[in-house]
Amino acid sequence: MDALLAKADSLSSASKKRRRPTQATSNSASTSDLTYQSLVKQTSLPKSLRPTKTIENVPTHNHIANKKLRNKLARTSTHAAQSKALLEDAELLLTSEAGKMEVEGEMEKTWRVGQSEIVESTGQEAALGRKEWKLDGGPYKSRHTRNGRHLAIIGRDGHAATFDWLTGQLHAELQLQETCRDITFLHDQSHFAVAQRKYVFIYDRDGVELHCLKAHIEPTCLEFLPYHWLLATIGNAGYLKYQDTSTGQLLVEHRTKLGACTTMTQNTHNAVIHLGHQNGCVTLWTPNLPHPAVQLLAHLGPVTSVAVDPSQAGRYMATAGRDSTVKVWDCRNWKGAVREWSARGGSADLDWSQRGFLASASGGTVNVYSTSSIHSASTTKAPPPLYITHPVPHRPLTSVRFTPFQDILTIGHAAGLSSILVPGAGEPNFDSSEADPFENKKTRREREVKALLDKIQPDMIALDPEFVGSLALPSKLVTDTTSTPFARLPRIQRLKVSGKADETEEVESEVEGDHGKKESREEREKRKMRGKGKSLKRYLRKQRKNVIDPTVVAIRAKLEKQKEEKRRAAAGQTENDKPSALDRFKRKS
Amino acid sequence: MVVSDYGAHADTILIFQQKISVLQHAPSEHLPSRPGDPTPVSRNLNPIMHPFARSRERIRALNAAKMERMFAKPFVDSLEGHVDAIETLVKKPGDLSTVASGSWDGGLIVHNISQRSQLLNIPQAHKGKVSGLCFASDRLLSCGVDRTVKLWSTDKSEGQKPLSVFAGKSAFNSIDHHRSDGLFATASNLVQIWDETKSSPISDLTFPTSTETITAVRFNLSESSVLASIGSDRTFTLYDIRTGKAERRVIMQMRSNSLAWSPTFPTILLLASEDHNLYTFDIRHVSTPTQIYKSHVSAVMSCDWSPTGTELVSGGWDRTVRIWHEGRGTAPEVYHTKRMQRVSSVLFTNDARFVLSGSDDGNVRIWKAKASEKLGVITARERAAIEYRESLKQRWQMDKQVNKIMRTRQLPKPVYSAAKLKRTMVEAERVKDERRRKHSRAGETKPKAARKKVVVVEQT
Repeated sequence: MDALLAKADSLSSASKKRRRPTQATSNSASTSDLTYQSLVKQTSLPKSLRPTKTIENVPTHNHIANKKLRNKLARTSTHAAQSKALLEDAELLLTSEAGKMEVEGEMEKTWRVGQSEIVESTGQEAALGRKEWKLDGGPYKSRHTRNGRHLAIIGRDGHAATFDWLTGQLHAELQLQETCRDITFLHDQSHFAVAQRKYVFIYDRDGVELHCLKAHIEPTCLEFLPYHWLLATIGNAGYLKYQDTSTGQLLVEHRTKLGACTTMTQNTHNAVIHLGHQNGCVTLWTPNLPHPAVQLLAHLGPVTSVAVDPSQAGRYMATAGRDSTVKVWDCRNWKGAVREWSARGGSADLDWSQRGFLASASGGTVNVYSTSSIHSASTTKAPPPLYITHPVPHRPLTSVRFTPFQDILTIGHAAGLSSILVPGAGEPNFDSSEADPFENKKTRREREVKALLDKIQPDMIALDPEFVGSLALPSKLVTDTTSTPFARLPRIQRLKVSGKADETEEVESEVEGDHGKKESREEREKRKMRGKGKSLKRYLRKQRKNVIDPTVVAIRAKLEKQKEEKRRAAAGQTENDKPSALDRFKRKS
Repeated sequence: MVVSDYGAHADTILIFQQKISVLQHAPSEHLPSRPGDPTPVSRNLNPIMHPFARSRERIRALNAAKMERMFAKPFVDSLEGHVDAIETLVKKPGDLSTVASGSWDGGLIVHNISQRSQLLNIPQAHKGKVSGLCFASDRLLSCGVDRTVKLWSTDKSEGQKPLSVFAGKSAFNSIDHHRSDGLFATASNLVQIWDETKSSPISDLTFPTSTETITAVRFNLSESSVLASIGSDRTFTLYDIRTGKAERRVIMQMRSNSLAWSPTFPTILLLASEDHNLYTFDIRHVSTPTQIYKSHVSAVMSCDWSPTGTELVSGGWDRTVRIWHEGRGTAPEVYHTKRMQRVSSVLFTNDARFVLSGSDDGNVRIWKAKASEKLGVITARERAAIEYRESLKQRWQMDKQVNKIMRTRQLPKPVYSAAKLKRTMVEAERVKDERRRKHSRAGETKPKAARKKVVVVEQT
């Protein structure tokens, strides 16, 4: 028996609290604990698991009373901070380099370099991105899949086509023979939706009509939220409608009350829909709010284009209006635009590239501005320094779209489409798990299934996408008795702590004793007893509840008033106070 | 001249190439080099490239939790053969598949659980119930209320006769074999140590003032001369066969029904108590239990450790089998079926993958220790997916929805209502206690921790 105990004692300390060798106490523990000492010589953490740096500002969660939970949370946040620090090392994995264009000397400007020069100086493969498509049927609009490989185009007069632009393989070509206003791919190239004259239609890859969405009447713009599988449309009636494309259900329709709307975009980082309206307002919508999450008067005329910056996690928004100005807004602080300038040639169309280049097509030119200059605040209304400019002779220019993962900008105009090269616009390193331009058929299928499994519920859309999984704020209810948890306090104390208790009664009694001179003890007791039995007071005493009741409050006020009057009467002020018709003739001194 | 002209021209081209570069992806890097090769993947860990990463991970965790519940089919098989309720179950040390069971009609069966076959079936091993079983290397020892201990060979060819019979003075309740020596201990109104080669006990162990019936006895697995017993006087007692006397006795509030030594931590003892709880005691500090396991709604009849010491299983009068994590006193896994009656004995198999339960309906049931575990061959990819789901659940267990799915167990109505009633009673008791305290003089009565209430007195 004793032998057993003796053996057990050498294994760990016999005290009730098990002590773990933490970093802070390791020195003191190592001297006493023989087992630990014998172990520590033989063991070591692999180099990859050792913390490289000491990480600061890790939240400690000290407000959480539960020790186990607190430790667990602290461990999790330390781990998160460590892995965040390790992300820097992961940059080694990024092999491709972004495109760039640099000039030597002060006098040289990048915008002086024309497309022909760029094409000439780049390789054969990259030069494929510079193209001109001459097409009939009105101004064209274009849209890419998320991996940038496939392109859908739509002409005003109903010419729709989808194709793989890299290989030039045409998937579908349709002559719809009615006005078409917008086109978008759904989750990938296998389906696309077209906003036609009356309804939204969904076609498959080969151009076979699959669905006619009759709930979406006279649509003008389409947006697909890929992680939520929602097709958002807005039309001439001004109703924003969300259709779930995985279940086919019309999820919700919001009445904007701002009339016909021709401008819509999505923030890809929080799936909020941005609408630009005829009265100059920009509104931000989520499916779970019947009113806009943000409403902003952005322009003094109709808003013609809205774009959100994907490079800064949706922090900046650019708007263009018929008042021929372009404004850049900070989505965290709506107090005025960060920067604004006037676009030559009237209303502009905007798009933001993956690496933060802003393209604006206005009049007969397309201007591209580089990242750093757009975000910096400026009070002057001068445009930011130009990066590239490109004239297009076919007015109007209806759409500009950057190709994801490519340095290409596709411009839709009256005579078809043209694509130009913008060095540095595209993200050089794609992630195969998100969007892969080189995916094969099997990967596409697998991704489709996985994306359906990972479909996020539409209720989760909010302005701040990071609220998911974040910790609740520490409670503001502070109990003075720290030992007793809030839930175990008696009701009156709970009400007191939460500030809902009716404490007027007690205060009153305290005040009562206060006024006047110091009384002797007998007098005080006498006063206390007197008037206690009066009917109103008796009523009040009986009505004393834990919550504030309007009738009781009214009676209390009445009593207070009576008391005040009595006091005044005692002081002989009653006559003076009473207003008289003759008061007006009194001399004002 | 001509030569220098050429040189200048080449220079300008070189400068231009440095100045302007346009992004291009080499298809050779991103496409498989030969048909049939896996497509190369590229990674970019920049968080901006992964929008809604957190939300999607949460959805995945939710799906993982749902899948766990969907695949939770713990029942594997039931082993029939007994005509009456099963009293005792025992596994063979060092063998993954051999298990013996004894029943109230005096029958004794040795099962092979991997083949679901009977190695030995003795219908009338004892008159009255078989109260205890244990393996002695290759042979089997059984004791009964007919005051005998019998030694059996597990070989079928030896016939239905015991190898030897040890006669005692009173009915036996339990038996356990020494880890290494040829000794075994029996429990009747006292603990007796027997030698396999001798027909009478070599020593009697009893606490001096004891008049109780000993209901179970177990040898310590590490310090094999130490043994523990539980008795009908709400006690548990520690003995040492070298000194030949009882070292310590503890009287508790309620009596225990079963005990088990921890296989990995030699000083930890697990007791299944009549008061619906299980207790682990560190025998160095027997004044308070180290952990209380609360969830059963009726008396716990039997308990066992997993061979890793990280889990424990208990079966109770409430017709459920519960699997606990060591050190976590609530929210165990609950197993039940419509036909399973009072569980009188439970067992963890030696590979920690299965749990056996013997119940009043005469069946030995085989359950998976992890309800949603897949039996059979698991490919590496599947294994990786399972591990990923496991870590997701771990990470998101604080989430309200995920936690609810993971926590909720559908219980039989009687168990559910009994649990509800029990909660009400415990809460009422707490409230009454609080009120009593409030109306007594300040500081006169202090709330007592549940752990401090368990032990009545500790005797040496």
